[in-house]
Amino acid sequence: MNLSLYVRGNTPLHRLPASVKFGVLFASGIALFLTDRVLVLGPAAAVGAGLLLSVRPPATALRRQLTGLLITLAVIFAAAALFEGVHTAFVVLFRLLALLLLALAVTFSTRAADLLEFFERLTAPLARLGVANPAKISLGVSLVLRFVPEVHRGYLEIREAQAARGLRANPAALVVPLIVRTLKSADAIADAIDARCYPPPHPTGRETTP
Amino acid sequence: MTGAAQPPAPTVAPVLELDGVHVSYDDRPVLTDVTVRLTERRIGVIGPNGSGKSTFARLLNGLVVPGRGTVRVAGLDTAEHPREVRSKVGFVFQNPDNQIVFPIVAEDLAFGVKNLGVPKAAIPGRVADALAEFGIGHLAERQSHLLSGGEKQLVALAAVMVMRPELVVFDEPTTLLDLRNRNLIRDTIGRMAQAAVVVTHDLDLLDGFDRVLVVHEGRVACDADPATAVAWYREHCS
Repeated sequence: MNLSLYVRGNTPLHRLPASVKFGVLFASGIALFLTDRVLVLGPAAAVGAGLLLSVRPPATALRRQLTGLLITLAVIFAAAALFEGVHTAFVVLFRLLALLLLALAVTFSTRAADLLEFFERLTAPLARLGVANPAKISLGVSLVLRFVPEVHRGYLEIREAQAARGLRANPAALVVPLIVRTLKSADAIADAIDARCYPPPHPTGRETTP
Repeated sequence: MTGAAQPPAPTVAPVLELDGVHVSYDDRPVLTDVTVRLTERRIGVIGPNGSGKSTFARLLNGLVVPGRGTVRVAGLDTAEHPREVRSKVGFVFQNPDNQIVFPIVAEDLAFGVKNLGVPKAAIPGRVADALAEFGIGHLAERQSHLLSGGEKQLVALAAVMVMRPELVVFDEPTTLLDLRNRNLIRDTIGRMAQAAVVVTHDLDLLDGFDRVLVVHEGRVACDADPATAVAWYREHCS
C-alpha cells in the first residue's frame, strides 16, 4: 500500500514549483466548468493526457490509478447519455477526464514535502490569526502518508499469524491487536519525534510548544 | 560533498552525570539510586531484559526524566533543558520503523535539521552530505516504508547524524538486523567521530569500548572495562 503517488523524475513538470502547479490546476478546474463546448473540453482532456504522460509514470502505477477512474467515468458517461443526451455526456466526460488527468499529472510530479510546504505557506495566515498551526497539520499529514502503509503491513502480519494458527478471518480478532499495536507504535513515534528536537524554533524566536 | 563543510569532529565527549537517579513506571521501580559519571567516548550498557537499560539510555537525552535525582549532559539538566540536551544527544531507536517519520528518505533527514533552526537553503546540502557519509545517497528519493531493514537502520542513523550531535545513544541497534547489516552498524559506530553510548545484547559489539556498565535489577551492578563487565554479566545474569 502506498499513499504517495510521486514518481521520481526531472521533467519540466517536476521542475515547476508546487505553487505554480496547484495554481494552474485550481484555475483549470474553474475554467473547465465555465464552458460546455466539446471542442474545448476534448482538447483539454488531450492536454491533460499529454501532461500526465510527460511525467513518465510507470505503467503499473498509471494502470492502478486509471482503471477505477475510467470505469467510474464510463458509468457517468452512460448515465448522462441516457438521461441528458449524448452531447451533455461528452461534456461531462471530457470535463472530468481533463480535471482528473491534470490532477494526476500534478500528484505524480510533486513530492509530498513540496506539497506540504506549499500547504504550510497557503495556510500561514491562519497561524497569524491563531486559528491553526500549519506546521503541526503538515506533520500530521506526513505521518499519515508515512504510517498508513505500516498499519496495513501490521494488519497483514496479524492476519497471517492468525491464519497460521488456524483462525479464520474474524474482524474483532484482527482489529483489537491491530489497534494495540498501532497505539504502541504511536508512543514510540512520539518519542522519536521528541528526540529530534521537535518543534522547530519559532521564526520570531518565540517559544514553541510541542 | 555538496553542503557546507562538516564541523570539526568533537574531540571530547560531553560529560554525562547521573546523580541519585530513580525512575518508576506506575509505582514499579525501574532504576534505583543510579549515580555514575561518564566521560569516555565509547560506553556500552548491557544487562538482562527488563533490567532498566533502555530507561537508562532514554534518560540521557531527556526522553525519560528521573522521578528523583538529576541527569546532566555537558552540565545541562535534562529535565530543565530538554531541547538543548536533544540537540547535543542523538538517539537511535531499536526499531527504525518507528523512528523514520517521513514518507521519503531525504524528507526524513531534513526534518531534524529543520527542527534545529538551520536556514532552509542549507538543509539540502546537509542532507546530501549525511546520506553520502553512510553511502546511501541513492536512497534519497526512495519511500521509507519500502526500504530493507538494514537500509532503514542506516537511514535512521543518518537522520540522527545529520543533526551533528556530540553524542549518539543507540538502543539495541543491531537486534533486528542480519549479520551483514549488523557488521555495517558495528563498523559505523567504530569510526564515528562522536561519542557513543550503546545499549546492547550483542556483546561482540563492545570490542574496543572504553567502559561498560552492567545494569541489573535497576542498578548499575558492574562498571568496568569490557572484558571484566562481560565476564561479570555472564557469571551473574546467565
